[in-house]
Amino acid sequence: MNAAAAPHPVLDPAHAPPFPVAALPVLRNPQLRKNVAHAIDVIQAKRARLVEEKTDWQALRSAAAAIRAHALENLGAYLELFEARCTAAGGQVHWASDAAEARQIVLDLLRQENAAEVIKIKSMTSAEIQLNPFLESAGIEVFETDLAEIILQLGEDEPSHIVVPALHVNRSQVREIFARRMGIENLSDNPQALTAAARNYLREKFLRIPTAIGGANFLIAETGSVAVVESEGNGRMCLTLPRTLITLAGIEKILPRYQDLEVMLQVLARSATGERMNPYTSLWTGVRAGDGPERFHVVLLDNGRSRILARKNERQTLRCIRCAACMNACPVYRQTGGHAYGSVYPGPIGAILTPQLMQMRHAQSLPYASSLCGACFEVCPVKINIPEVLIDLRAVVTDQERLRIKRLFDPMYLGLRVAALVFSRAWLFHAAQRMARIGLRPFTKKDGWIHALPSIGAEWTQTRDLRGLPKQTFHAWWASRGKGVARENR
Amino acid sequence: MTSTVSSREPILNRVRAATPDGAPSAADAQRSWSALPRDYIRRGSLSAPSRLELMMERLREYDAETSECRLEELPAAIGAQLTRSGRRTLVAPEGLPQEWLVPGFKWKIDHGSGNGSLDIGEIERADGVLTACFCGVADSGTVVLHHTAAEGRRVLTLLPDWHLCILRASQVVQTLPEYFSRSHESASAPALVTWISGPSATADIEMTRIKGVHGPRFLNVILVRDEDAAAT
Ligand code: SF4
Repeated sequence: MNAAAAPHPVLDPAHAPPFPVAALPVLRNPQLRKNVAHAIDVIQAKRARLVEEKTDWQALRSAAAAIRAHALENLGAYLELFEARCTAAGGQVHWASDAAEARQIVLDLLRQENAAEVIKIKSMTSAEIQLNPFLESAGIEVFETDLAEIILQLGEDEPSHIVVPALHVNRSQVREIFARRMGIENLSDNPQALTAAARNYLREKFLRIPTAIGGANFLIAETGSVAVVESEGNGRMCLTLPRTLITLAGIEKILPRYQDLEVMLQVLARSATGERMNPYTSLWTGVRAGDGPERFHVVLLDNGRSRILARKNERQTLRCIRCAACMNACPVYRQTGGHAYGSVYPGPIGAILTPQLMQMRHAQSLPYASSLCGACFEVCPVKINIPEVLIDLRAVVTDQERLRIKRLFDPMYLGLRVAALVFSRAWLFHAAQRMARIGLRPFTKKDGWIHALPSIGAEWTQTRDLRGLPKQTFHAWWASRGKGVARENR
Repeated sequence: MTSTVSSREPILNRVRAATPDGAPSAADAQRSWSALPRDYIRRGSLSAPSRLELMMERLREYDAETSECRLEELPAAIGAQLTRSGRRTLVAPEGLPQEWLVPGFKWKIDHGSGNGSLDIGEIERADGVLTACFCGVADSGTVVLHHTAAEGRRVLTLLPDWHLCILRASQVVQTLPEYFSRSHESASAPALVTWISGPSATADIEMTRIKGVHGPRFLNVILVRDEDAAAT
């Protein structure tokens, strides 16, 4: 199978190859591109229809953006309130500065429970801190319960999308993975049969394993409640049946009040899966005797978020509600799929979030993984101006490069240096134009285009043609106006 | 555990330093929260009959089964749905009116916490579950449970494969914001809520929608035409 032959995707930004390199295997894999394009077309069409019928869509977006911005602006106060209310309701709140600390807190909690196995609800935050490999190396068996996550876990693959993480895998590939790993002979590749296989595989685990780990879509400061938005019911299983539940959530997931969900739930499902409402949304507050887990822990994760919060323009990155509309709309993502981004957060949001979470020390190629067309901004339900942040981050990357010694020998930087000098002096500029016209004449073909240049100029003409310089410059034409020469040259 | 205290202050300090304009406490943030733009539609404009019709239509779009009856016909309507479904053993929360537990079927009553609560195995083995609900939202065909005595513990509406839910017409609102207003009137924010929009589903394999992954595969809603709705 094609996908199996491709190199294993690396989603650790510290070790992933730069975007243009990582994108190559996908661009050469027609099956993968077909799978991605198909899934995206389906979601996009559904989303477009539902957004159209929603006459107050723009008002909802404005409200959603304002609520999220307000929550971030007052994050300190709201986090403290969330902690107080959650604790009062019987929950326990833990704070983790970085991924390592969060992993350790989770492991310590599991050890207290003597847990050898744990069931999991899909959580991008858990993938961000690479929790599964850590727990497994500590001897704890982890069972993902979201259908897409099972496909990836059993297929030893990585997520390529934040809402439909296995959208790059097609039904025959799923059939092969399930048949092999669940030991089912004669499994058909009918999605109904595959889903039934997953249901049977998990049912016993839900009923048996007393410890669960999950993420959160929203943390409600006013009440100390947590909300999880899902489709399959595996979330409800994990939130309801176990004795102990551990929720891992980024500190930015805060909403001020319960009522704010009236906006967020309306925009989230429409943006994410093109539904008026997802099948299940659960909200719980601490613990309740006789209903659900006896012990409930929330691990609040910073991991670079407070640093993003401090940057005025980049702060909007944290408004994100992980709906994935931006990647579904992105012409670059459509071609490369998610693995090329070298992070669990792909697409436009990944291009701005990942390098910032990495404190701009890794993933510097991602701010360039965009055509700046603005489609992501247009669909984003919380109005994150992704192109604006991309440009800001490009400036940061360029500033970093400026400090690097190797740029002294880099032809591009040398060239730009010379250009800066030439552009700042009119006489030099004119002289350069004259020289260029003479120098480029032998390469300019009859059609007025340059199709091939030698040496470093070839880097340009390899992929595009260059227009030959006109016989007369604008300056010269302006100076000669009315002298009867101008008409000759247009 | 030591880690519960260690990073709390550093994180909160970093957050506060990053947001110098932030309110010192959530109570202080209240005023700017109240001033946030909310120009979206709060109240629906449909007449009561169209609102109910929309609710039923949206439920059917999710492949939920729907039927309607008058209040005094409800026990008969419950019996009819049970008979039609061929299900014999049902679980129900303790807060349901006695007359809903129609004779001829095996009812197992869950008394919530402690003594008299059904164990997981019993709930899992039941053919179905019967509950009331808090609200219905017509716009999205959503049934909202607050898990009170008539709506049951969360597990009750999770494990059985078939959920028969009684929705009174007076509980149906058109928009999601209207649900939040109602919820606000009846209590301060509820501690447990489940929003159900059709049976469990997935589209993880090639975006093909498949019903019934882990939650109940079948949702059946009886709309009861009670007095209040006729008045609105
Ligand atoms: S950036 Fe906006 S569109 Fe993209 S995932 Fe986040 S909320 Fe959705």
